[in-house]
Amino acid sequence: MEGASYQRFPKVKIRELKDDYAKFELRETDASMANALRRVMIAEVPTIAIDLVEIEVNSSVLNDEFIAHRLGLIPLTSERAMSMRFSRDCDACDGDGQCEFCSVEFHLRAKCINDQTLDVTSKDLYSSDHTVVPVDFSDTGAGFENNEDQRAIARKGIGKDHAKWSPAATVTFMYEPEIHVNEEMMETLSLEEKTSVVESSPTKVFGINPHTQQVEVVDREAYTYDDEVLKKVEAMGKPGLVEIYAKEDSFIFTVESTGAVKASQLVLNAIEVLKQKLDAVRLSEDTVEADDQFGELGAHMRGG
Amino acid sequence: MSPLGECPLDPGGYFVVKGNEKASVMSSTEMTKSKTIIRMEKEKVYLVLNAFTSKVPIMLVMKAMGMETDQEVVQMLGRDPQYATLLLPSIEDCASIGIYTQLQALEFLEKKDEGALGVLRDIFIPNIRVGGIKSPVRENNFHLKCVYVVVMLRRMMDAILNKDAMDDKDYIGNKRLELSGQLLSLLFEDLFKSMNDQVKFNVDKILSKPSRSSRFDVSQHLLKESITVGLERSLSTGNWDVSRFKMHRKGMTQIVTRLSFIGAFGSMTKISPQFEKSRKVSGPRALQPSQWGMLCPCDTPEGEACGLVKNLALMTHVTTDEEEGPIISLCTCFGVEDLSTLSGEELHSPSSYLIILNGLILGKHRRPERFANVMRKLRRAGKVGDFVSIYVNEKQRCVYIASDGGRVCRPLVIADNGVSRIKDHHMRELKDGVRNFDSFLREGLIEYLDVNEENNALIALYEGEATHETTHVEIEPFTILGACAGLIPFPHHNQSPRNTYQCAMGKQAMGNIAYNQSLRSTVSLNEAMSDGYLDLPFGLSSTAATDDENNRAAGQNATVAVMSYSGYDIEDAIVMNKSSLDRGFGRCIVMKKISAAYQKYDNTSDQFSSPCRSQHDQIQILDNDGLASPGEIIRHQDVYFQKECPIDPKGSMKSHPSQTPYRTSKQTYKGAEGETAVVDRVALCSDKRNNLNVKFMIRHTRRPEVGDKFSSRHGQKGVCGTIVQQEDFPFSERGICPDLIMNPHGFPSRMTVGKMIELLGSKAGVSCGRFHYGSAFGEPSGHADKVEDISETLVKHGFCYNGKDFLYSGITGMPLQAYIFMGPIYYQKLKHMVLDKMHARGMGPRQLITRQPTEGRSRNGGLRVGEMERDCLIAYGTSNLIYERLMISSDPFEVQVCRKCGLLGYINYKSKTRVNFKNISRFLLS
Repeated sequence: MEGASYQRFPKVKIRELKDDYAKFELRETDASMANALRRVMIAEVPTIAIDLVEIEVNSSVLNDEFIAHRLGLIPLTSERAMSMRFSRDCDACDGDGQCEFCSVEFHLRAKCINDQTLDVTSKDLYSSDHTVVPVDFSDTGAGFENNEDQRAIARKGIGKDHAKWSPAATVTFMYEPEIHVNEEMMETLSLEEKTSVVESSPTKVFGINPHTQQVEVVDREAYTYDDEVLKKVEAMGKPGLVEIYAKEDSFIFTVESTGAVKASQLVLNAIEVLKQKLDAVRLSEDTVEADDQFGELGAHMRGG
Repeated sequence: MSPLGECPLDPGGYFVVKGNEKASVMSSTEMTKSKTIIRMEKEKVYLVLNAFTSKVPIMLVMKAMGMETDQEVVQMLGRDPQYATLLLPSIEDCASIGIYTQLQALEFLEKKDEGALGVLRDIFIPNIRVGGIKSPVRENNFHLKCVYVVVMLRRMMDAILNKDAMDDKDYIGNKRLELSGQLLSLLFEDLFKSMNDQVKFNVDKILSKPSRSSRFDVSQHLLKESITVGLERSLSTGNWDVSRFKMHRKGMTQIVTRLSFIGAFGSMTKISPQFEKSRKVSGPRALQPSQWGMLCPCDTPEGEACGLVKNLALMTHVTTDEEEGPIISLCTCFGVEDLSTLSGEELHSPSSYLIILNGLILGKHRRPERFANVMRKLRRAGKVGDFVSIYVNEKQRCVYIASDGGRVCRPLVIADNGVSRIKDHHMRELKDGVRNFDSFLREGLIEYLDVNEENNALIALYEGEATHETTHVEIEPFTILGACAGLIPFPHHNQSPRNTYQCAMGKQAMGNIAYNQSLRSTVSLNEAMSDGYLDLPFGLSSTAATDDENNRAAGQNATVAVMSYSGYDIEDAIVMNKSSLDRGFGRCIVMKKISAAYQKYDNTSDQFSSPCRSQHDQIQILDNDGLASPGEIIRHQDVYFQKECPIDPKGSMKSHPSQTPYRTSKQTYKGAEGETAVVDRVALCSDKRNNLNVKFMIRHTRRPEVGDKFSSRHGQKGVCGTIVQQEDFPFSERGICPDLIMNPHGFPSRMTVGKMIELLGSKAGVSCGRFHYGSAFGEPSGHADKVEDISETLVKHGFCYNGKDFLYSGITGMPLQAYIFMGPIYYQKLKHMVLDKMHARGMGPRQLITRQPTEGRSRNGGLRVGEMERDCLIAYGTSNLIYERLMISSDPFEVQVCRKCGLLGYINYKSKTRVNFKNISRFLLS
């Protein structure tokens, strides 16, 4: 194993950053890296979500399990989640998961006093901790002649256990496409043929420059690898007119967050979690179990 | 309805009997009750009637009814010598036995059967009254009956001469549906008459006594409830045993399947045949051309009853009896010549048509077409009942008017010279809510035609296709389908058996039942299921819209990727996304009703019992009255009901009630181990015997697990093969990740193109924010979207026109080798769930007599290694396994045997001592 190094130095370039949306480029690495990052973002970045609901009174039309399920799905602001403890390995409360280090308590009291339908939303949910509050767009449901009195306990968890703990609404990446238009060959085409090439793509990838009447790549990333243009070009009897490759070492990531953590934080947390996981592998070196558990990967880690 | 807690959309059509909802099944009949057969044997014609012991020569019957001359019969039969030739052997036969006059004929008949004249008058074709339509001129004027017999004769001879004139037994126009009203009236008549007989018997017995102490009062002797009980019994068992009418039918009622609204609706449209299903005939099972628009071509069960059990189409109406009197007088007004005024020769004269009302010959008319048109105009004007049919049969030279019950008919738009009567402004008014279906009917824009009258109509499928001769235009082509088949999107693109499968499967899908489904239970089923998280399908079918079904959906839109994944998807299994399940996909609620009762005894009764808290944990959910309280979580083996029973219910007569000794009796919940259910409601009520009844509704919310059955709306069912984490699922560069992965091998052999179009249409619908429609045959009328249009929409929103997406593997992050056909498809969860079925046991209960393991899951039974399994094990050579299974695990039994006498030892339960206790040895029997 000596000598071979798997170390890479990926580069990240941020394109767009909003609270719940991030778009960035990840370059000079390969699919395994990009996919690991994606998987961690979906399944392993911890957040806080309601996990235990005690229902005192529920006279609404929705049944207890339904309400509890919906309460669980409310995203809660979870900046604290990384530093919180999992209730299963919390020493302060013997694992019953009701202490301040591992849980946050919520109360929901709603009563409908007139004969109209009352909307019960996440705004009716009162938190015992001001840092963990519902993200303000969600809604639990509505009930007629509603009388609800509930205590809910939110705990830290990861998306692998239940989707409610997943901080990511959408995490996806694509290979960056590389599009070459053969200018010389294109010149031989009439304007009509050019338009047909441009229009053969379902997404707006190509355009015709109104001045030079040349086919240009308008939006490279709008390309969805649908091969429609290539098929069209083939059908026109001009293979090689347009050539498209996927750059196998650069990825464009799109991250949308549920609001539990900021999209940027989500990426950073994911890297943090990934690091921790790799550390766990590294630290367990030299043990026989580690080899059993990690097999070749463990050997790689030791070597590289 | 809604303020009373009833669902306003409930279609009704069922009985609630003993806490069950029972729908009566329509049955289709082919034959009328009294059979009169005219049969030709060895060229001679005979009358076969049950009242006569043997067949009677037809000429004898004619003579007995007063038609003495042969010429008269031949004249009536028609001038054509063909008919006379056919009748000749019968005439000769009659002459050869020397019967020429009515008297001779009657004497001859009387010799064979007593009261022959009476039979001829009252039993032989009894629908023809003796003496003429109006007032009877003479008591025994058989002229009309003679005419009827001659018409029957002529029909038979037509059939002999010309095979085309044969009636088709399977023709829908020759069938009548028997509805619950008719069945109940028969039952009631029988019950009422037997009650009268019984009362008469009782009263006679009392009145015959010489001395009575009190004044006689009939009301004291009326049998209470005998009719109620009789009706109840028939409705709840479905057995119609009316010996008075020689009716012994089984399975006339069925429990309404309340799994989804459409399923319940579908069970109300069911038609079952009257004869047994075992007959191996293809004729009645085949699709009849005449069932177009009346009976659903798709909705029929597979297997034994295939093609025999049918379902009504969407717009079908089943007629009820209508009064004949006014129609008869109308006919006479419009120039129907009474038969009694006509000579025999004129009966079959080619210049005029016979007018027949419900099988009764009214007379003749010289201008039948004109007559039919006038009658139809009257019907459209509402002067005659909407469902009276007028049918001109040119081959038989008859006009049939039908006003009897049980005919199927359907509405059609009337067209005058090929121009539809419904104009654009009518449709606009319909949209604005000014008009409804009834107003269209009232104003004569639409009329109901039955199967026979359809033969006189030329019906155009669309208005544009109408020619000058067209008389009617179809309302919509998709109305040929029934309620269940109507739910399938693009059914006309599917292979036909798939639609049939879906019709059967749609009834198993779990969905919303009614608006009041959370309140139902107490009167309804043992096990109602409903889905708490339902969607409307993105790809609707118009039937769904007309049925108002949208509010009561029975499935969810799942994003389906058609690809192979993980190998756990062979044989139609589907791979599900765990995160989708976490978020609520495919969840359902299963309600279970358990009841308990407080019994009353002679002097005492069961009592409430307050649970003793210090006991064990299993009684935690009990309230202070010994009943589980609503909202409590209930687990397997939990006590949900506890009461105090008197130890000796009979002996407590002597002692004071407060001194009766009681014991506690408990009922424990038997659910799946490891699952938690919730007590939904506890209802207290009193039953017939005034005992206090307690009903517990137990609610169990279930999340899909491996082995649960799902189905799309195209007869493609599959079990969940595995559940996979979302991060392992493929994803597109837009971030779309499927909820469900279906194996592409499901498509080539099934040929469910409709499912593919549904996927495309739904995908387009999601991206453009509008429902796409997929009504049957709806493309020309705009009720179904065309694939071209769908593709255009897809391209407009940046998808590929063929619905395929470029996906990345969630496991490696690399692109998948192929483009994946992906989009939303409406999926239904079917009622078959592993939780209700899985079963395994090691040691367990045994039968008392044989000491072999019990059978069946409900008794925690063993799994039998049967002959075939045994064969496999032999073939495989696992002799020890066979030995263990067949010898050790099943039969051995250890007994104590006396070494001296050889008798088996046993425990005497009375003295609690062991008998044969000395010299005992253990012995293994096997």
